Order: sequence, then structure tokens, then C-alpha cells
Amino acid sequence: MQALLLLLPLLLSIIAMSFVRKEFVKYIALIASVISLVLLIIVNNGSYFITLLSLGGYTLQIATNIAALNLLLLSIVLIIAPLVIFYSFGYMNIRSEQRRFYIEIVAFEAAMLLFAMSYSFITMFIAWEFLSLTSYLLIGFWYNNEVANIAARKAITTVFIGDICILAAMAIMLAISGSLNFTTVFTSLQNAPSAELLVAILLGIAIFTKSAQFPFSEWLPDAMEGPTPVSAFLHSSTMVKAGVFALLILSPIFIQTNLNTMIFYFALITIILATLNALKEKHIKKVIAYSTIQELGLMVLAISGGAVAAGVYFFFAQSFYKVLLFFSSGAVMEATEKTSLDETSGLKTNKLIYITTLFGVLSLAGFIPFDGFFASMGLSSSFSSNLLVYLALNIFGVLTSIYAFRWFFLNGKKSPAAVTVKYLSMPKSIVISMIISAVLTLVASLVFFYFGVFGFNSFQTLSITSLNYFDVLIESILAVIGLLIAYVIYKKSLRIRSSYLIKLINNGILTNEVYLYFVKAIYEFAEGFYIFEEGLSKFLDGVGYMFIDIGKEVRKVSVGNVNSYALILSVGIILLFVFVYMINVV
Amino acid sequence: MFTFYIFGVLCAALIFGDLLLNIFSNKRVQVIFNIILLFFIGIIILYAYYNNSYSSILGLFSFNPFSEFFILLFTVGVALINLLYFSFAEDYRELSMLLSFSLIGMYIVALSNSLTGIFIGLELMSIPTVFSILLSKKSLEAATKLFILAAISIAIFSFAMAITYGGLGTLSLIKSQYSNIMLVAFVLFVVSLGFEASIFPFNVLVPDIYEGSPGYITALLGGVNKKVGFAALIQVLILIFIAYHSAFIVIAILSVFTMFYGNIGALMQKNLKRLMAYSSIAQAGYILIGIATASVYGMSGALFQIFAHVFIFIGLLAIIATLERKNMTTIDSIAGLKDKNPFMAFAMVLFMLSLVGLPLTTGFVGKILIFLGAIYAGLAILAVLGVLNSMISLYYYLKIITSIYSKDTLKKHVNVDKYTLSVVVICLAVTILFGIFPQPILNMINSAATYLFSL
Repeated sequence: MQALLLLLPLLLSIIAMSFVRKEFVKYIALIASVISLVLLIIVNNGSYFITLLSLGGYTLQIATNIAALNLLLLSIVLIIAPLVIFYSFGYMNIRSEQRRFYIEIVAFEAAMLLFAMSYSFITMFIAWEFLSLTSYLLIGFWYNNEVANIAARKAITTVFIGDICILAAMAIMLAISGSLNFTTVFTSLQNAPSAELLVAILLGIAIFTKSAQFPFSEWLPDAMEGPTPVSAFLHSSTMVKAGVFALLILSPIFIQTNLNTMIFYFALITIILATLNALKEKHIKKVIAYSTIQELGLMVLAISGGAVAAGVYFFFAQSFYKVLLFFSSGAVMEATEKTSLDETSGLKTNKLIYITTLFGVLSLAGFIPFDGFFASMGLSSSFSSNLLVYLALNIFGVLTSIYAFRWFFLNGKKSPAAVTVKYLSMPKSIVISMIISAVLTLVASLVFFYFGVFGFNSFQTLSITSLNYFDVLIESILAVIGLLIAYVIYKKSLRIRSSYLIKLINNGILTNEVYLYFVKAIYEFAEGFYIFEEGLSKFLDGVGYMFIDIGKEVRKVSVGNVNSYALILSVGIILLFVFVYMINVV
Repeated sequence: MFTFYIFGVLCAALIFGDLLLNIFSNKRVQVIFNIILLFFIGIIILYAYYNNSYSSILGLFSFNPFSEFFILLFTVGVALINLLYFSFAEDYRELSMLLSFSLIGMYIVALSNSLTGIFIGLELMSIPTVFSILLSKKSLEAATKLFILAAISIAIFSFAMAITYGGLGTLSLIKSQYSNIMLVAFVLFVVSLGFEASIFPFNVLVPDIYEGSPGYITALLGGVNKKVGFAALIQVLILIFIAYHSAFIVIAILSVFTMFYGNIGALMQKNLKRLMAYSSIAQAGYILIGIATASVYGMSGALFQIFAHVFIFIGLLAIIATLERKNMTTIDSIAGLKDKNPFMAFAMVLFMLSLVGLPLTTGFVGKILIFLGAIYAGLAILAVLGVLNSMISLYYYLKIITSIYSKDTLKKHVNVDKYTLSVVVICLAVTILFGIFPQPILNMINSAATYLFSL
């Protein structure tokens, strides 16, 4: 019950927000999410069940569980939600749309909390669907913008493939175990290996669509058409991690079926493609979106490769600097009103924004002592026995550092005076929420390591004290190399000398042809599905018109004439008698 | 045992109190009196239900889970109707007195052990209803039609009773062995109770009656009276004719026809009340599927659907009756309701979606139980046809919803008084709350269905 208590303030605030005057909407959203955060402290660990339906040997239960992992995701969501809402105070300054925005954001938060504590597939599925729905609404928030609409539709079409897969998996699991609770399903699937493989594949596809893994990754960069707070909240730190989280809590299914190896290689492909794309991308937010895909790939890689502890830590640490980077791209876009990295400028003019952004970039690039450093450190050191993966991870480390600083330097160009003024008069809420998240990129790891807040006793082996100095050195050197390369290419604008490198990066080996081919294939598949659906709906239309035509006739039956009524009645009774007589004879 | 005497005393107090207050007091006192008494009756029955105190009184009435479920349902339904009468009708005092008489008839149908009781109960229920329609001067035609309907129904019912007495030698509700004479009685019972429960082809007058009566009385007709017909039908069919497995196919066929008749008839309707009449016929079809399965699961579904439909129908008719006062009686005329009264628009949409069977509403739970029951009972074809019908019904419900959310140039606010509003809120709360957590109702229904089949 206590678990559902967390949802209560949010649900109440949704009701309140629909009725109060426009000015108060944002405050209610903020207060509700802060109350939820406070409630997190008093929530006890343990699982809780509410029976929805119990019939004929099938039980459907809303089940919630609060254990270490759930608490981890819950705290990520609950810490970031107030930040994002507070950031929106300054960012979403169009009055008429505020009510819709905050209601959708809070609804999303509630769905995310329900997802984070789900302990049965039915709970997970409800939350999962609400996540898709709110994501769709928020990506297409600027509904007058055609591009945003297309992006929203693309996102929901892609995720829809996963939804169908989950439904199918749920049907199989319900048929096998008669219940959809995680524990029951896990034990009963052990005795049905073939069904388990099928379930694992279906769930794997769903996870891949949600967490934007290859070949379903292309919806995420397009989703950047949504408002920046939405990108910061949904598409970097919370919703896209739903898939990874599902991979973690459903790990018994994946471990038993040996599907992990396949997932591992898919994650590797995702990382390569996303990194190369991040290097060449021009759109200020899409660079970070590709970076998010890359990091999601790293998490999936770590979890499927057996380095669960490193994956879990990455899961936690990545959230804060990603949010920060989105916040600062929002600030840049707000000041310059441009989205292409060629045109954005002037990050340096406001010192506060500059320094906080630097925190985020350093963290992404992997500089000690920021979150990102420990995250990538833990990852590469857990794969140190596998030389190939270790090397690959280190190369990705350098490339990450390059695109992080590329993004930073290109935003830091000299700006026109008008833009400078805008930087200096940036709304306070934007600056303050950036400062808070900058502090979090430093502090979060410390909290995670030293205080063991989430009861991760087993993960504390990964703590800083046990880190190998050699690894630290390598990691730092790689990050610095990336910084230097980015400095030479983008800061000094030595474009002529390194034109070959630039060309290589911009027309990357795999990025354009192969990648687009796959993306196209998936999209064609979705289109094909759409055409099938259209045909089906045409057919149903035909049936519908048939019924409407019949309906016009049926209306005439009931004209209110008692004589005709008596006739119908007598015919009915006689027919009934005839029919019963026939049954009786046969 | 003691609780049932209190129940009897409360019922008597309701009747005589209404008679006295009708003469000596004003209508505000009367509505408070009615609501309080109904509340205590509900409490008593709930108490009896949770203490598993079942017994039979005078050998005529038996308190069991089945009758307790229906008594609770009728009590709550009639309390809601009382509130509606109070806020809409000018002659509330007469109406409410008639309603109390009707209510006693309903109780007798739910409680009685014998066909005689059902006969008396049905009469006691329908005659005051005819009079209450007559009270509004414009509805003479509807009242006449309802009277014809009730008269034919009761005539055929008494004929069926006569045959049953010949076949069984008693009028008690006891299990009958297979015999040809009882098969005739079976058909006649289905026909006569088919009038009350608006089953095809005995429902041709129903749209006329629903349309012709004032909205608040339509709420009674479709929301409660029809359910009494179902209570009687279920008792007669399951308690007497459970051995007639082959004959239950008749019910299955009637359910298919009823569903299609209701849904196809509703497709092209313009008038809201007429559309709701067809929609409730379609719902009767779904309920019949559950009865046709003649199994505990199917019956649970049917009972749940009955429960769900009481609240959805009363809630919707409360809204429609409000709109009726503003001369908004057709689908086109409610265009832009969203701007005129956002809450009513929202409630109406939710009721519509619940009728379609949207998850997290009671309509969904009822339908899924019925369809599952049909599949378990080997009547999967009924489930398929039921789903097909849900799809057809989506058309006309969505037509209303699009109309509500379309723009209208005339922006006049539609006011709702607080009694109607409270009815809508209660109905909406029940629809949503027990849609999300149906288990308490399911427990009650399961014990009712199990009891019915254990006899």
C-alpha cells in the first residue's frame, strides 16, 4: 500500500491541475512531485498485492515491490522530476499550453513510478502503455509543428511493435502459469524451456524498442522535436531506461535462455552506430540523443555481458549529467533560437551556465571525479579479462570524449550581442536547476558508493577504494586524448589539415548506408503493418456500412404501432415453440 | 433471523411513511426520509450478507446470497432514482410513493421462493411504474404501451404458471425433470420475462417507451425495472429448468438476436433516449449470453454486467434528463457539450466507454467475465459474436463522443443541480472504482451464483 502512496500526490495533483486557475498549475505540479520525493523516505521495502480478477484458475494482480533495484529507479525519477518541472518554470513560458504540459509531465511521472515498482506483468504492462502514451503526447507537444507530429507517430509506431510483443508474451505466460506475477512466472517458465525462449525473444524485442536499441533506435533522435524538458526527462534519463530496467528485473528469463549473447552483440552494434552518429550530428539535441542511445547500449551490453553491477551503476550515474546536458542545450536554444551546432554560440557569456555545462561535459567525457568517470571506469574494468571488448570500450571512451567536447566547443563560439543579452537574462529557474543537477553529477556517486543508500551491499565491491590506479590512469588519459583531438579539430578550427579525419567522421563508414538501410527496413515494416491495418479497416468499414444499412431498416420495425407489434410478438412466440419442438425431436 | 424482521419493519415503515408524508409533509422531508430508510435497508442487508445469515421466512421468502445481492442493487438503484425524481419532477411526492411500492415489488421478486411471489412482485413493480409515467401529462402513449407490455407479460406468465402447476404439482421454485409439458412452460416463461428484460423479439415497444417517458423515469425503467426482469428470469431458468440443457440453446440464440437488434437499431438513431434504449437492449443481449452458459462463471458475468449497467444507465440518464430540460435531445444538439459543462461531458464519455467495455471500468469486467464464461461453457461462438457487437456499438458511442467534443457556436452553459450531480458522481465513482477493483463485488456475485447452482 505504501508503494502506491507515492502515486497518490501525483494523481491528486492531476485532478487539481485540471480545475485550478492557470497560474497555479505549475506550482501544484512542483509541490506534488516534491511530496512524492519526500514520501520515498518513509516507504518500506517489501511487496504488496491487490487482486484485480480471480477467476477460473487465473489471477490478475496489481503487484508492487520495493527492493534495491526498484528504489534505484524510483529515486532517479523522483529526484529528476522536480528538477525538470522547476526548469520548465522558466522554459515553458507559453501560458496557454502550460496546463496541458504539466498534466502530461506529472502523468508521465506517475506512470514511471508505477513501472519502477511493478512486480507483475500486468502492472508493468499498464505502466508501459501509459509511458508510450505520455511519450507520444509529449513528443508531439507542439502539435502545430508537422515534424513533431511525424516524430511522435514514429515513436509510437516503433514502440507499438514492442507493445504487441509484450501482449503476446503475457498471453503465453498467463496460459502457462495462470498468473502474471514475476516470481510465479519465473518458476513456472523454468519447466517450459521452449515457451521460455519465445517469451524471452518477445520481451527482448519490447525492451529493444523501448530502450532504442538497434534496429529500433531511430525514433529517439527524432523524439527531440519535443520540448527540451521532455527530452531531459523522458528521453535521456527515465523512460528510455524502462527497457534496461525490464532487462534487469526480468534477468532470470534471459539468463536461462542464453539469449544474452545475442543481446550483447546487438548492443555492440547499437553502440558503434550511435557513437558514429553522435560524432557527425549537427542538431544540438540530437547529438545528446545519440549519446543516450550509446549509453543505453553500454548498459545493455554490461547487463547481458554479465557485468550487472557496472551496468546498474551506469544506469544510476548516467541520469544526472544527461539531464544537465539537456538543460544546457535548452538554455542555448533559448538564447540563440538556433538548433544547428554551426549556428549556436555564446555559451561562455553566462558564467554559471558555462561552468555547469562544463560539469556535464566533463562527466560525459569521463573525467575524474565526475559520475561519468566512475561509470565508464567500472564498465571497462569489469570487462578487462576480455581484451577485445576492453579495447572497444576504450575506443568508445575516446570517441565519447571527442563528441562531448565537440558539442561543447561548437556551443562556445563567440556570440552576437543580442544573444549575449539573452544569456545574461536567462530565467532563474533554468540556471538554478542547472546548478542543482551539476552538483548532483559530483555528489551522486559519492552517495551511491559511501553510504550504500540502496542497500547495494554486493555492489560495494566496486567502490572507489578498490579501484585500480592503473585503470584510473588509462581512463583519464583516454579522456584527455579525446579532449585534445576535439580541441584541435573544433576549437582551433584546423579543418584543412584534418579534412580527411573530418570527412571520415562525417561520412562515417557505417553510419549512412547500412544504418539507414536498417532504419528504413524497420520503418517499411511498420508501414507494411500500417497498410495491412488500412486494408483491414477498409474491410471493417464495408461491414460497418452493411450494418448501418441494416440499421436503417431495423429502425422501421419499431414504429410504435401496437398491431404490428402484436404480429411480431405472435410470430416470435410461434417460432420459439417451433424451435424448441425441433430441439426436442432431434 | 432477527435482521430480517428488522428488514420487514423497515420496508413497512417505508411504505406507510411515504403514504403519511405524502399527505402531511413537504417533499424535502420525504426525500430525506426515503434516503435514510433505504440507507438502513442497505446496511441491514450488508450486515446479513457479511454474517452469512441466510434463512427463509414463512416458507415464502428466502434470504440468500442471490437475493441479498439483488436487494442491495435495487436499494441503491432506487435511492439514486429517488434523488433524480427529487431534482427533476414537480410531483415528487406521488412519484416517490409509487417508487416505494415498486421497490417492495422488486424485493418480493428477489426474495420469493415461489412463482406466486414472482408474479405478485412483478405486478407490484410494474403497475406503479405505469402510473408514474402517467403523472407527466405528455407521456400518455408511453404509459399505455408499458401497460400493454406488462399486461401481456403477466398474462403469459400466469399461463406458464398454470402449466407448471400441472407439470410439477407445485408453484415453488424446484428443479424439474425433463418433460414436454414443462418445455411449453419454459418457452412461455422466456416469453413473459422477455418482456420485462427487453429480449428480442419482445422488445419492439421498448424504444418507444423509453423515448416517450421523461428521462428520470426512463432511468428507472432501464436501470432498475429491467434488472428485476432479469432477476426473475435467472431464478426461474436456473432453479426450475437447469436440467433442460438443450433448451438453453434458445436463450443463446435469443441473446445473439437481442445483441444484434440492439446494436444495429442504435446505429442510425438520432434521439439520445431512443439510442440508450437500443443500447440497453444490446446490453441485455450480453447479459443473456451469461445466462445461456448455465454455468457459475457465465452467471457471475451476467450478474456483474447487471450490476455495472444499473449504474452506467442511471448515470447516463441523469445527464440526458438534464440535457432534456434544455431541449438537447438529439446527438446533434449536444454538440460542444464539452464547453457547456466539462464535467458532464467527461462523465458521459466515461459511461459510453464503459458501455463499450473499456478496461478499468465495470463494463469491461462484466463483458470479459461473460465472454470467458461463454468460452469455458463451450459457447465460444457467442463470445465472438459478443465482441463483434462491441465493435459495432463503438460506432454509435463514438458518434456521441465526437459530437460532445466538436465545436458549437452557441456557448450557453448547462447547469446541473447538486442532486443530479451527486447521482452522476456516485454512478461514475462506482463505474471506475469497481472497474479497477472488482474483487469485493465479484466475491458477492460468486457466492450468489454458486448458491443459485447449488440448489
